[in-house]
Amino acid sequence: MKTVLIFSMLLSASLAGAQTVNWARQAETGPKHLLHLNTGLNYGLTFGAGYGYQVSTGMLPILLQADYSFPSGEKVLDDFKTRIGGQIRLYEINNFHFSAEVLGVFRRYENDFARLLNFGADMSAVVGYYRPTWFVAGEFGFDKAIVTNFKHTQAYREIYPQVKDGWYEPATGGNFHYGLQTGVSFRQYGITLKAGRLITQDFSTTPLFPFYAQLGVNRRF
Amino acid sequence: MKAKFTGAALTLLLALGFIQCTKDRIINEPGNLVPKTVDQDPSLPSIAINGAQLHAEAFGPADSALIVVVHGGPGSDYRHLLNCQAFAGRGYRVVFYDQRGSGLSERFPKDSYTLQTMIDDLKAVIQHYRTSPAQQVFLLGHSWGAILATSYINTYPDAVDGAVLAEPGGLVWDDIADYVKRSRSIVMTKELFNDMLYSDQFITGKEDQHAILDYKYALLSAADGNPDNPIGDEGPVPFWRSGAVVNQALFELGNDIEPDWTTNLDQFTTKVLFIYSENNEAYGLAHAQKVSSAYPNVELFETLDAGHDMLSFPTGWNNTFPKMLQYFNNLKH
Repeated sequence: MKTVLIFSMLLSASLAGAQTVNWARQAETGPKHLLHLNTGLNYGLTFGAGYGYQVSTGMLPILLQADYSFPSGEKVLDDFKTRIGGQIRLYEINNFHFSAEVLGVFRRYENDFARLLNFGADMSAVVGYYRPTWFVAGEFGFDKAIVTNFKHTQAYREIYPQVKDGWYEPATGGNFHYGLQTGVSFRQYGITLKAGRLITQDFSTTPLFPFYAQLGVNRRF
Repeated sequence: MKAKFTGAALTLLLALGFIQCTKDRIINEPGNLVPKTVDQDPSLPSIAINGAQLHAEAFGPADSALIVVVHGGPGSDYRHLLNCQAFAGRGYRVVFYDQRGSGLSERFPKDSYTLQTMIDDLKAVIQHYRTSPAQQVFLLGHSWGAILATSYINTYPDAVDGAVLAEPGGLVWDDIADYVKRSRSIVMTKELFNDMLYSDQFITGKEDQHAILDYKYALLSAADGNPDNPIGDEGPVPFWRSGAVVNQALFELGNDIEPDWTTNLDQFTTKVLFIYSENNEAYGLAHAQKVSSAYPNVELFETLDAGHDMLSFPTGWNNTFPKMLQYFNNLKH
């Protein structure tokens, strides 16, 4: 079952892409490449960079994407998140656009007790009003931690010597996110801002910091 | 192009096959990521009181004056207070217990926890170990345990012969909220900040999935010994299993009812030994004076070279034990 889930996730990721995009511009023919830098609060103070490539235009424009982000701190490489996938503009009417994105996720977390490796999937739907120089949209999505590998340090083994390392299932976690995104575009650049709330998959609890916010800069070429 | 795609697909399938062939573990299964509790492992020492099975032990002569050690959290356990066994060699009966939902004690649904239940449990633990009405009872509470000890004294001012209270966040809710806010004041750019938040995207648990929630809470405990943590501990504090649900339940109750555990303390005229630590930047003399002022008869004591968990590490323990022993000896019949 886990194999099927991971394969489905990676397959869908390979067919899709995702960054905060002004579809009124991105859907046009023209520059196909998109570079993206961002910083924000998303399970920590994070910094990220991404690349997107538009593979089709017209009625169903598709943007493939890969990105990498990491949280602040003295240890730069111990925690990170990589995503690969894409987004597709599914429908457009009177400057209102509906798009969806599916991303395969691989992420790492480490502290003094444990190192976690996780494969997951991040899916979102975005509906907004897009003009060539600005846009505003609402987003709703779900980030699922599908399977996680746990490896514990000696410090945790002193706490609990019988702890069992390895791959754990079923899905070890999942959080919904919903919020707003907006942006302005000029020449080859775009500045985007998105913010919202996080809530766990059982809808009754929240992460320690239940909000996210991200400021980004895009450059098309 | 086709050859490249085929190669990539084969690599992917091999990787997936490797993952699939490894033996998967169930994240919510007790014993995998966190220890089993007394209701799951009969080999653990336990007592049955007040409808709960609690992880508990006692050391020292059974008829000697009781020192009941009340741990913090809520949700922590008595492992980090085991230095207090030393009182057993000085003529005391030392009782340790993990509060319900904490450590290795039995877990309960979140909506079952009340502040009164925690007081009732402490009363039942004392009754369980007390061998005669003449046997003296002393409380030794640390952090939340000092708050719980105070709530017991406030409820039964005549039932206790003395108390050592180590850094209770407050004895009224506003003081607790102020202290918790200061003790969690962490700079966003620090590793500690993302160590505490980043794991939320890897693991989530429902309210009844205690093993998952306790494990997540345990990961947070790694922050205790971080140099950027204002509470000033010199390393991670030992524990068995963190009680995430009871912790959240009691904090939410506190927020809702904003308790005041000082209303009857004027009736408790026995001197209280009130301990605070030199290295806990969130506490300090001013807060210790403010919190302890609810007691009519208080001796303040600063543990030098130690942080909030001053009883858990050698320096803090060595600097505090003689004072506590002197305090108990002065009150002992």
